[in-house]
Amino acid sequence: MSGDELRGGRVRLAATFFRVGVMNEMQYRVNFFLQLVQSLLTVGTGLIVLAVVFSKTNELGGWSRPQLLAVMGVFTLVGGIIRTFIQPNMERVVNDVREGKLDFALIKPADAQLLVSIRDVRFWQLTDVLVGLAVLTVALVQLRSTMQWQHVAAFIALLLSGLVSIYCFWLMLASASFWLVRINEVQELFDGLFRAGQYPVGIYPGWLRYGLTFIIPLAFAITVPSEAITGRLAWQPVIVMIAFTAVLLVVSRWFWSRGLRRYGGASA
Amino acid sequence: MAIIEVGDLSKTFNVPVREQGLRASIRSLVHRQTREVIAVDAVSFTIEPGEVVGFLGPNGAGKTTTLKMLSGLLHPTSGRCRVLGFEPKGRPAELLRQITLVMGNRNQLQWDLPALDSFELNRAIYRIPRAEFIALRDELIELLEIGDLVTKPVRNLSLGERMKMEIAGALLHRPKVLFLDEPTIGLDITMQRRIRSFVADYNSRFGATVILTSHYMADVQALCKRVIVIHHGRLVFDGDLSTLSERFTTQRTITARLADGEEITLYTPRAETASATSRLLADHDVVDLTIEDPPIDDVIEQFFADAGDAS
Repeated sequence: MSGDELRGGRVRLAATFFRVGVMNEMQYRVNFFLQLVQSLLTVGTGLIVLAVVFSKTNELGGWSRPQLLAVMGVFTLVGGIIRTFIQPNMERVVNDVREGKLDFALIKPADAQLLVSIRDVRFWQLTDVLVGLAVLTVALVQLRSTMQWQHVAAFIALLLSGLVSIYCFWLMLASASFWLVRINEVQELFDGLFRAGQYPVGIYPGWLRYGLTFIIPLAFAITVPSEAITGRLAWQPVIVMIAFTAVLLVVSRWFWSRGLRRYGGASA
Repeated sequence: MAIIEVGDLSKTFNVPVREQGLRASIRSLVHRQTREVIAVDAVSFTIEPGEVVGFLGPNGAGKTTTLKMLSGLLHPTSGRCRVLGFEPKGRPAELLRQITLVMGNRNQLQWDLPALDSFELNRAIYRIPRAEFIALRDELIELLEIGDLVTKPVRNLSLGERMKMEIAGALLHRPKVLFLDEPTIGLDITMQRRIRSFVADYNSRFGATVILTSHYMADVQALCKRVIVIHHGRLVFDGDLSTLSERFTTQRTITARLADGEEITLYTPRAETASATSRLLADHDVVDLTIEDPPIDDVIEQFFADAGDAS
């Protein structure tokens, strides 16, 4: 089988799972409205906090009001994508390991990592993406003078790379369940830390900033793309970020296969 | 040529030892004590293409562990196993494409969707050409009599109906080797019988090799000419079902109906069957007489009970 054919097969497999996942979610149409209300409420609270902050000052850590609004838009957008595609799959890995149901994924003649990463899609979480895009658009309209197409291109590239690094981070968390069977609290920990991403990481003290950059790569997924679209971007972090993402891809896959080996060696 | 070859296959688990009490739990945080448990102990056998083999043994005997090693999910601690010429350990795609695993106590279909959609996912995973897929799918639907069920969400199906769906989904890629781990567990008698006759049909129609573990002797009696008995991880018997009962039956049951309508039941050691019978005939006015082996269920139970005492 040629490399192209293999890749085509993988894309088709992912597309099939996506289609079936969406059909699954379509049965619960009321969730669309519930999720939409939740997305709007979350963003609404964020906006109130921003308004309070900017009633006292004109900038926060070097970010103007519309720029911070853009960060909030990107934060909501990224959160939506993570909760739609990444989180449900990785949580299912954790559950499957605990309940011994991972066997069904491992016995299939497909790459196990690919398979466990595409099985679930929580389609209605995409309301966050819609709301996030709306907030981002409003922010960009306010910033119009500084918008250029290169910024948009850089934004999209950095956003994708940031999402990949979040995926890698989640994959490593999920792989940890091969050693520590109970990691239920991990999801809440992630959610809590993720909330810190609604502000640029630059406003946090140094230790937290590094943690949110290199341990949980939130800076890469939210702050850096926001810098790109608001025209604040320096090229240095871009290079660091792409290198970091590449390393994470390799490391997380290694960690995953170590976990699988352990599963084969020790599980009952 | 053998389709499955197993030689001196062993699997040892390291199980954490946990003592009771808070202090012991805290100590185990720092220093975890583990104990080795031998789940499968130097098991050897070969299986020819098209055979239906029953794995028998009480819970924890090592049946499932053996199946999992044969399907590449667990790695052997020592020994060899080969399935279709492949070593399962590295889960080679070529092997996985040709085997299937059905576990009676776990389901792999999408819970909220009709089984047809899950079948579609399997088609994508195994890359089954569409025409071939549809033909086999419809054949399986017919054989299992699930035509009106495949469009209902799986969550609305009964346990037995769900099992039929699981089986259909697991066979869409035309596997050559079927590992069925307790496929009839928890099902009512009628449903058990249907699943059994389907497996027999499937085996004769497609010539697939089947390894089946079950608690229900009836499953094994109906399907398997050959049984492998595993106890405490060791292979204790491998051969014909009829030989099994001969080997392990130490008793015979003699039932006699007398002229006055009374019934007498005698349990005698096998070797004394003849003398017991002649004594019975001499002493009583016998109208009818049967000499039977005890039911195979009792034989197995007796055997495991004895083996349990011995170890």
